[in-house]
Amino acid sequence: MDSAELMRALADEAQPVRRLRSPFARMAIWFLISIFWVALVVLFKGVRPDLTAKLVDARWMLEVLAALATSLMAATAAFCTVVPGRPKWEHAMPLLPASVWLGVLAVGCYQAWRQSGDLVAQITPDWACFPGIVMTGIGPAIVMVAMLRRGAPLSPRLSIALGALAAAALAEVGLRLFHQQDASIMVLVWQGGTVCLLSAVAGLSGRSFLRWKLKSPIGI
Amino acid sequence: MMVGDQGEEELAALMRAAQVGDKVAYLALLKRIEPIAIRMARRRWLGSQTPEDVAQDVLLSVHSVRHTYDPGRAFLPWVRTIIHNRMVDAQRREIRRSENIVFVEEPPETFSKDHTNWLDVGPGDPEELTRAIADLPPGQRQAIELLKLKELSLKEAAAASGMSVGALKVAVHRAMNSLRTALSK
Repeated sequence: MDSAELMRALADEAQPVRRLRSPFARMAIWFLISIFWVALVVLFKGVRPDLTAKLVDARWMLEVLAALATSLMAATAAFCTVVPGRPKWEHAMPLLPASVWLGVLAVGCYQAWRQSGDLVAQITPDWACFPGIVMTGIGPAIVMVAMLRRGAPLSPRLSIALGALAAAALAEVGLRLFHQQDASIMVLVWQGGTVCLLSAVAGLSGRSFLRWKLKSPIGI
Repeated sequence: MMVGDQGEEELAALMRAAQVGDKVAYLALLKRIEPIAIRMARRRWLGSQTPEDVAQDVLLSVHSVRHTYDPGRAFLPWVRTIIHNRMVDAQRREIRRSENIVFVEEPPETFSKDHTNWLDVGPGDPEELTRAIADLPPGQRQAIELLKLKELSLKEAAAASGMSVGALKVAVHRAMNSLRTALSK
């Protein structure tokens, strides 16, 4: 293939392009679309009866807001990963809110351990969490993949893992609105575990979702 | 040649123009990107691929994601990230390819199973085969001669012999069985 010929052909077929918005703007768009889906699922499942009491519970609110911040930061980071030339530190943006989220749960676990002395005995099967998060997160996840595919697939696994974290963390926020489970160790194991598992599995399959779409205009 | 601040500004201006459909600016930009890609690729191991191959891959990649460039940000980090990414992908492809290559001193001619290695016992005695064919009933002999020795198709053999395709199939099958029995004695 002749490079000069390739360059001429690429220039010939070049049309004006619609620039990608900034990662923050894209996160806002993703969030607005996703929150619709989450609201629909919450309404379908029915809000928990003690929600008004929970809304004034500082620890509960901090935990939910930290999960929400993790979701938004993970979405922003995911959108940053598909733009070439952006600084690497942006990829770590969700670490801070995720630390707060895990910290709140860890404090809750510590308090429960101080009271009962046996934390492991408090872990009981709660199979509603996994399908709950999957169902609430599927809409945001689909929108996320569609939006990530508009960018450059520079690190597909990282992009998809961050995108899945954003979707799963937002789903967790929705789950907390309809699923009555507030024991920190249970939230940590079942809900936190589901979020981590989904993010990891999605990340491993990143290359299936994001890949370079190269099409040579001279048929090579 | 390093691209300085002035070069950065020129490239960014060309890219901004290319994004709104200026084909001349875009061609000029691609011509400036190619040597940058080649220069970066020359510093890396690429296996059987040449820096020019990688540069062409970079040009196609830049073309496919040119909408991701933000005019408010520097151009060179944008394009260098793409070049780096495509070089790493080229290296990955090369490593994958080399993992699938098996070096052997003497390439095997057949598969390792015994029944695929019947040639080891030699082609056999041609005269014995000729005699065995001659001993076949006339229909079977004709089928063998047309289909196996002259290598005609079933249609051609049917036209030449006046036998139906079905009859030819049966005749050649029986003839092969008879020959196998005669030659294994």
